Parts: sequence; C-alpha cells; structure tokens
Amino acid sequence: MKKELKLKVNGQPYELYIKPKTLLVQVLRDHIGLTGTKRGCNDSSCGACTIMLNGMAVKSCSILALQANGCEVVTVEGLAKGNKLSPLQNAFLDHGSYQCGFCTPGMLMSSTALLAENPKPTKEEIKEGIDGNICRCTGYNSIIRAVTAVVKGEYKEAK
Amino acid sequence: MTSKFSVIGQRVHNIDGTEKVTGSAKYTFDVVLPNMLYGKILRSPHPHAKILKIDTRQAKKLIGVKAVVTGKDTLGRKQGIWRRFPELCDEEILCRAKTRYIGDPVAAVAAIDEDTAEEALDLIEVEYEPLPAVFDPLEAIKEDAPQVHDGVELNININRHIEWGDVDEAFRKCDHIREDQFKCSSQAHVCMETHDAVASFGHNGKLTVWTSTQSSYYIQRLYADMLDMRESDIRVMNRHTGGGFGSKFELDSAQFCAAILSQKLCQPVKIVLTREEEFTATKRRTPMYYFLKLGAKKDGTLLAKEARVITEGGAYTAMGATALYLTGFFSSFPYKYPNYRYDGYRVYTNTAPTSAMRGFGAPQSTFVGESQLDMMAEDLGIDPIELRRKNGMTPDYEVPGQAFIQSCGLHQCLDKIEEHIKKRGKLPPNHGIGVSAYGFMSGGIFNWFNTPYAFSAAVVRINIDGKADVYTGACDIGQGSNTTLAMICAEELGIKLEDVRVFSGDTGICPPDLGAWGSRQTLMSGNAVKRAAAECKSQIMEFAAAKMGVNIVYDLDIKDGWIHIVNRPERGVSYYDIVKGAIRGKDGVAIMGRGHYTPHRKGMISPAYSFGVQAAEVAVDVETGRYKLVNVTTAHESGTVINPIGIEGQLEGAIMMAGGYGYCEDQPMDEGKILNPSIADYKLIRSLDMPETEILEIDTYEPEGPFGAKEAGEGLTNPTAGAIGNAVYKAVGVRINDLPITPEKVFKALKEKEKKKKAK
Amino acid sequence: MIHDFEYFAPKTLKEALALLDKYQDDCKVICGGQSLLVLMRQGLVAPPYMIDIKGIAELSYIKDDKDGLKIGATTTHRAIEKSPVVKKKYPVLAKMETRLASIQTRNWGTIGGNVCHGDPAGDPLPVLIALGATLTMTGSKGKRSMPAENFCLDYFETALEPGELLTEIALPVVPPNTGTAYTKFNVIESDLATVGVAVSVTLGAGDSCQDIRIALGASAPTPIRPKKAEAILKGKKITDALLAQAGETASTEADPISDIYASEEYRRELIKVLVPRLTREAMANAKKA
Repeated sequence: MKKELKLKVNGQPYELYIKPKTLLVQVLRDHIGLTGTKRGCNDSSCGACTIMLNGMAVKSCSILALQANGCEVVTVEGLAKGNKLSPLQNAFLDHGSYQCGFCTPGMLMSSTALLAENPKPTKEEIKEGIDGNICRCTGYNSIIRAVTAVVKGEYKEAK
Repeated sequence: MTSKFSVIGQRVHNIDGTEKVTGSAKYTFDVVLPNMLYGKILRSPHPHAKILKIDTRQAKKLIGVKAVVTGKDTLGRKQGIWRRFPELCDEEILCRAKTRYIGDPVAAVAAIDEDTAEEALDLIEVEYEPLPAVFDPLEAIKEDAPQVHDGVELNININRHIEWGDVDEAFRKCDHIREDQFKCSSQAHVCMETHDAVASFGHNGKLTVWTSTQSSYYIQRLYADMLDMRESDIRVMNRHTGGGFGSKFELDSAQFCAAILSQKLCQPVKIVLTREEEFTATKRRTPMYYFLKLGAKKDGTLLAKEARVITEGGAYTAMGATALYLTGFFSSFPYKYPNYRYDGYRVYTNTAPTSAMRGFGAPQSTFVGESQLDMMAEDLGIDPIELRRKNGMTPDYEVPGQAFIQSCGLHQCLDKIEEHIKKRGKLPPNHGIGVSAYGFMSGGIFNWFNTPYAFSAAVVRINIDGKADVYTGACDIGQGSNTTLAMICAEELGIKLEDVRVFSGDTGICPPDLGAWGSRQTLMSGNAVKRAAAECKSQIMEFAAAKMGVNIVYDLDIKDGWIHIVNRPERGVSYYDIVKGAIRGKDGVAIMGRGHYTPHRKGMISPAYSFGVQAAEVAVDVETGRYKLVNVTTAHESGTVINPIGIEGQLEGAIMMAGGYGYCEDQPMDEGKILNPSIADYKLIRSLDMPETEILEIDTYEPEGPFGAKEAGEGLTNPTAGAIGNAVYKAVGVRINDLPITPEKVFKALKEKEKKKKAK
Repeated sequence: MIHDFEYFAPKTLKEALALLDKYQDDCKVICGGQSLLVLMRQGLVAPPYMIDIKGIAELSYIKDDKDGLKIGATTTHRAIEKSPVVKKKYPVLAKMETRLASIQTRNWGTIGGNVCHGDPAGDPLPVLIALGATLTMTGSKGKRSMPAENFCLDYFETALEPGELLTEIALPVVPPNTGTAYTKFNVIESDLATVGVAVSVTLGAGDSCQDIRIALGASAPTPIRPKKAEAILKGKKITDALLAQAGETASTEADPISDIYASEEYRRELIKVLVPRLTREAMANAKKA
C-alpha cells in the first residue's frame, strides 16, 4: 500500500506517493529525476549516495524515503546558486579533486556537511569527513587540498 | 621561467569539470530512455558444469517480464580480444553447453523494472551437471587435471617466451646468484560505476548502445563479431564513465545480454551490474606464481635474469594473454640485462577470468623484481639505490631485439629519491623506507585485436568562430583524456583551451581509436589529434601567408590566437579573422584536418616508455604486525607534462590502488567462489588510510610523443607494492614474498624471526 | 531487492509496543536502519510489517544526573559523539563513536539499533560492558533491565523478547581514579573490528589495580568479559609480567573464528598484545582523571 511522502529537495517541495520499501536514493534519482546522486554498492559502504538530510550527511541508499518525510534534503544539484558554484565546487575544479566524477557528488555533499557543522576542521577532521566516501581515482589528497583551501578562506561564497 | 607552451603545462580545469562537480554529468548509469526495460542476468553457481536444461517458462509468465533469453537465442559464437588467434576467442558470454566459473552467465531477463527482473531470475530453472573443477594453476597444469576447455592440453591457454643473450652461460660467470619465489595476488578494479549498458535495437535492425567503456571501437567490433552485423550498423557511445582501470574494454555480460534482449524486443534494455556481480563476474588482475633467478658480479653488475611465471588464467583468455606477455617483458625493466630469459604460461582455471588491470602484469613483475633486487643488494653489501643506478636503463638504450628506449629519466629519478631519503634523515624505530623503480609503456605496438584501422585517428574541424572541434575515438574514463587532447589541439593550433570542444568515444561520429588501455591515449591519440590539428593549421597558414604577404624567408606561427611572424611577433593578424577568410576562400567549407597514428618500426612493445622511482615509508607496530603507510614519494618522468593536475591525480590515485595491492586488497576464494564480493569486505584504502604523497617531477622529452609527452597513468601503479615490501623489510627485517603484505603475514614473519634468533 | 512491506511510524513508545504485540514475528523494527537495510537490500530479511521507531522523540535523549548517564536507545551515534557531557564524563564512549563506520552512518544510525543487531564485532558493546552499563528493555507488560554483558546470547541474537524494545542504556557514575580505553584492531581505519578490546581500570593505593573490567569484541560469538584475566590483575600492583599473563589468559578465554580477515590464531595473538596495551592506556587515563 503506497504512502504519501512530503519533503523538500534543494528548496523545492515535493509530494509523492510511494511504496514504503522505496529508498530515499530511489526517490531522488528515479522519482524526482535528480541523477547527480549515485549508487556504487549494495552494503552502505561506498558513500556515492551521500546527500544532506536536515543538514546532516547521510547515505541515501540506507534510508527509507518515508523516514525523510517532512525533512529537507540537499543534493549535489542544490549546491550551486544559479550558475554560481559553491566555494567547494570551485575548489574541486581548481584542485582537480575529481577524475571519473562518479564519487564526486557524494564527496561534495560530505565536505559541504562537514564545513557546515565545523567551518575550521583540522586536516585529520577533513579526512574523517570524507572517510565514508570511496574514491578509486584521486587518492583523496586532492580532495583534502580543496577542502583545506576553502577552510583557509581562499574561496568566497557566491552572493 | 616562462614556458615555451601556451596551453600545455598549465594547471587547467578539466573540460568536463563543471558537469562533474554539479552532478550534471550523465553516465550510462543515469541513462533513461522512453520504453526502456531493465535487465538482469542469471549466472552459474558452479565452478564447472554442463548445462543440461534451462526452463524459462515460469519466468516468462511473471507479470512485467517481457523476454527471457539464453545461449540458444544467440548465434552461438565465441569472442575475445585476441581476435588474431581464433582459438583464443573462447568466450560465449551467454553460455550454451557449459559454464566455466561461478558467475558465468546462462540467461537474462528484461522486465519493466529491476525488481521484477530479479524476481524472474529465481523462476528460471536450470539443470546443471557439475563437473570436476580446478582452481589453482599449479594444479590445473597437471596431466590429470580437469580440462577447462576441450582440447587444450594441460590447460595451457597460451605461453610466451622472451630471450636474449645466453642466460645459462652468464649464470656460470656470476659471483652471486639468487633464486626466489613469489606469489602475486588478484585484485579487483572496483570502478565506482559498475559495468552497465543500455542497448537499443531499432526496428531497422541497427543497434545503438550507451555503455561505460574504455574503448567504444572495441565494443563495436566485438558486437559485430557476436551478432554477425556490419560494424557500421552498430553505434557505441561512451558517456561519462565512472572508472575503467582495465576492466571495461572487453565485451561484457551487461553489454551483450542487453543487446540480445533488445534484439528480441526492439526496445531499449538497460543492464547495470550489481556490486556483487562486479566483484565476481567481471574480469580481474592476473594472479601469478613467479620464479626468479638473478645473477650478478660482486661489484653489482647484473649479468643475467631468468623469470618463469605461471598465471591463473581463469575461465577465458580475455586480455590475460597480454598480461602474460607484458609481465615477461617488464620483468626486464628498468635495467640493462645483457642476458635475459622469460617463460610464461597462462593456465586456464575454473575461476573468474583474469585479464587487464592498470599496470597489466607490470605491478606484479615490479613487485617481485624490486623485492629481489633489494635482496641482492643486501647479499652483495651494495646500497640498493647504487645497485639500481649501476644497472639502470639510460636514454637511447635498446632492449635487445625487443624495444628502443628513447627518452629515459630513470637516473634523475634515482638521484631525486636518494636526496629525499637523505633529507628524511634518521628514522624513528620500526620505520623503514623502501625503494622501487619501474618503467612502463605508452601503449602497445601489438595488434592482437587485428584491427585494420590506424591505432588512433582524429578529425579536427575549425568553425567560423574559430572554435575547433576534435573528433576522437579516444575514451575519457576519468583520466582526463578529453582535456589532454583538447590541450594538445589548442597548443598545436595556437588557440585557447576554451576554443576547443571534444567529441569522444562515439563510434557514430568519431574515427576509430583503440581506446584507453595500456596507457596509450596521450601518446597515440595525442599524436593523431596533433596531426589533425597540424593539417588545419597548415590550411590556415596558407591563408595567413596570402593575407600577410610576408617575405618568403619569414616563418609564421600562431600563439594565443595571434598569427604572427616568428621573430617579429608584433606583426600579425588575428587567427579568428583569418579563419573567417579561409572558410570563405574554401567556398564556405569548414577547415578540416585528419590525423592518425600507428607505431611503426618501434620494436615489439611500445613506441615510448616512462620511468620512475618510488620511496614508500612505513611505520610498523611490531607487536601486531600492522603498519601505517606514512609517506609515498615518487620521482617520475613522463616526457613533457601536458596536464599537470591530471598527472598529479594519476599518481595519487595510483598510490591508492597500488598501495592497496601491496597492503590489503585481495580476492580470497574457496572452490572458485570469491569470498569477499562487497565493498565492505574487500578492503580498500580510504582517506584516513591514505599516506602523504609527494611528487617529484623530472623533465624529459620524448621525441615520439606529442610535444614530447608519454604515458603517466599505468606506470605509476607499478612500484608501490615493491616499495612497501622493501620498506617493511627495512623497518623490521622481515620479507614477505606473497601479496598482499597483510599485518598477519608481517606478524607471523616477525614471530618466525624471533624464534630463529632464540634458536641461535 | 527489498520486498514489499506495510509501514508504520508510531510517534510514541506505547503505540510502538502495541504494534509489536499485534504483529509479533511478522514485523521488524527499524530505526537508523544502517544494519537492517543492508540485510533487506540483499533479500536476507523480508518482514511483511515494518515498525519505524525513528520518530519516537521520547526515546532519543542523553541525560546526566546523580546516578550517571542515561542514553535513549534511538539516540544517534553522532549525538553521542558530539555530546559535551559524554566527552567530559565518558570520553571513551565519544572516542569509540568517532571510529564507528563513517560520519554518514553515525548521523542516522542509533546506539540502540547497533546494540540490538547483536554483532559481536560491534564497537559500542565492549565499551558499554567495560563501563558497567545497564540495558533496559520495555514491553507492553513492563520494563526489565540487565547488565550489558548479558544482552548478547549468540551471533546476532540478543536477549530481547518478542514485543520488547530496547529503550535505554544507563551508565553508572564513573568512580574516582577510573579510566577506560577502547581500541579495535583492523586493517583499514574505519573498518569493523578484527578484534576489539575495552578496559576500565579503577586505581587503588600505590597505582595498584583496585578494580578492572575487560571486554572483548569480535573474539567470540558474543562480546565477552575474560574474567580469569581480570582476576589476575584485580587488587594487584600492575607489572609488565602480570599484564602479559592477563593477556595470555584473556586469549584463552576468547573463542575467535578464522575467516578471510584473520585466523583464529592471529586473533588470539592480538588479544595477548592488546589487553596489556589497553590496560596501560586505561591506567594512564585513570591518572589523568
């Protein structure tokens, strides 16, 4: 029996009617059509599906969509303001913190959540912040450099 | 110091970067088409079995299921990458009579959604007759072992012999000889995007495929072979691809089954392999048993090396034959052995097929070779870097009968690493720095695929606004080839990077290119693009010369969109203006150039080689055997650096992958069943485990490469396992000869060492 | 694939217990779902009814009073990790949480869910056992409590009866001169424990060990307290020789498995090393306290 789901995604309210077994990542990708969030595993280990739920970084493959009822979700598509990229997005571009790009949305969401909670993390805290996200291409260090650059204030938030 | 280049060597944003950081990059994983169905594959649970009967009736009845196919719905052909040798094209993909490994496909379903397709799999009844199976190549090569493929004696899939000099005579002259055995493990690629394909047969019988691939051309050609279609009736498109690392340039089960299902239905069918299928039923790094014999004079001159290798082939040939060849060749790298012999045997087993993975047999040969070299250094009482220096390759060296090394910065790399180690100074207790040197190819000379085409071809078209479109069959799988090729085009044409647009990996519009493997694209695709751009440039220059009317002794060139006299750069015209005139002059036809590249007369292996030396520092907890990768510093040279951010990324990523090969990644099996087919169970280096990395760039120039560039993607995965092994030895005096070098192995070795010490 | 189920999201404990009584073995409780959904996605668990207790506010709290610390079962790992009172009074708990899985998992997963999963390799239970925690289960018939070390019965099997929910984890006030330490041995930093060791030491006169509690994870079908090892150290002045003996004894009290990550033998060797090491660390923490 389908149930009603009301949530905000990237500031936009959605009203959906879904089977309870639907995962949040399926609502985002398949129902709403925001395919930026990816899936890379079946055991909640890779972090490619990371989004922000009420400001917290969570794995959207490991949350029943109905648990997000009444919540605010931010996906990678919600990071830029119009055509102005977020400081982290710009830092990623400058530091080449992506290669194939499949893990990148998740990395950006984990980093964004980290800095939202703690604007001045140490290097160790930055590493911890993305430890739930696997990257097979970059070796992580360029991502850490990008986040560090944002922490140092090298990038300004777009108005 | 100002660069002589305008674009090359600059730190630029990847031209696909904005799409990737905004989540708008579309991967095959994201492709959704109207009327599209979802497919799932049923796979054999047996390591070796005859298929007696497949009953698909119940599955077909399930509501939502549109088609169920088996091997009977195919033409029953076999395929393989080594198309030049039909007997090595041994994989049906959808098996008809026999399955040869746990995971071998036997049926596929297309349904309205993934869950229905998965449910349908449970309703397919397959009657198997399990057959005796063999898992270890050392067992499979015995007389009485079960035969994996009919008529293949001793299960020897292929063997390879490489020899120069007189090894036996040379050993007699040696002051010291070492014989050592090693075991190199398997490794999974773990691309973040699993293998996937959306195959769409039209009612006109033409096939369009979106797929995650390293070579759209290879997939197109293999489809044509398997479906008995004209190559040109098949269009294969590489979307953004979430990683390849060697796993995605062979026709895979997602691609083939999706096509067979679509052919039946004339509807698009999408198959995305699960992570478990990715681990168990796609190809993997070739495990190898290595027997090395090394002989030297007491002054450290290496006189002879003999390598005997038996590799675990798995159920099919795939690209494993190439790994067998390359490991044998790279076992001689990067040193000048006057006498060398290699005998390698690839042996079929009833396990998942082993094939290409970044490094292609060289991470294995480098691990064993560099480990043994350090052992030899200790035996002779010579500093390990000095031993490498004494025998290391130099520019313009010929590997007898095999290869011409033109540029080679190995010695500068050795110097840099020696300096780095000196700077580190005295290490804390139980810390050690291990060194490992390597050399690797920039693409292969060989054409086992049997393509009639040039290895790389490109077209460049200049439009009225001066923007250049590059059409290349090269595939960007994350390594940034789109950006590198755009930079080469921009540099050659003398325009800005923003003036270049790249269309890649689409067989419908791009000329064929062998694709992204063997670290070939920068050199080979790069040369093709450079030549195509040069052809455009010469056409533009004709018009510029006509317009400018300068004295014949003056040379013209383009830089930053400015066509000028070389020695008087203030005298010139805008490239953009000239383009407009040139197109008008050509009766309104856009300026086009074609370029291609196939290595000729470059030896047997590769047109160019990159070299490097890596130092890994570990800190060992002697009570538990666990060790931390503290720092990995690499001095390397890859000719002219085209895309520095790209190369740094390749290096750091390689350290993660190769460090994993040395430290923790493995695929333990029980009777052919992979025991850790999930990301949680397959240990991967994450950000908290990643060492500090340092890159020391050495300047070299490779005449064969575009603007002097050569490879920098695979070679960097070669040294790390060996560096780790040597580092652990330096730190705590134990030598582990089989990968991965896990804490438990180190612990056991330390206990053995203690026991031996007490016994004395 | 996940099989269909009917879904309920009770807002109070009473509602939840009524649903549990109604559906009995046909229902599963989900909270953070970080363990459960993995099993469900793989088709290993397929309940027709799902009771989601994530929204029951009355079960999510961290209360500090004269009796010690009380943590509601649906409190997230991250809340515990970040809690000022936990960091101050039970720092080992916060530290354990920082090494549990990933931030994403900790943001949604709950300590109750983790404990009820009954994984002997889990991080929280050895620490809770070392701290002398008491777990409270509530059913429609009432509450009952038991020491944390009695909660797990076997691999992935707990003392929770049908119709019961774990509702609270209570930690006693930390006695003076007490320090606790926890570590898990693994190959990748954030991985599950190959072996987990938690030790709580109360120092007596002359740096002797007045009281000690050792808890081992991933060393047996359930987390265990190697009491013979504790007896070697309790009431004694701690020496290296005694610690080594305790480590040896603890390794014999353990019943670890051999799997693809480590052999039984290696796990025992790790226990031999880590018990003394963690005891020293606990003692150092006790001195700081």
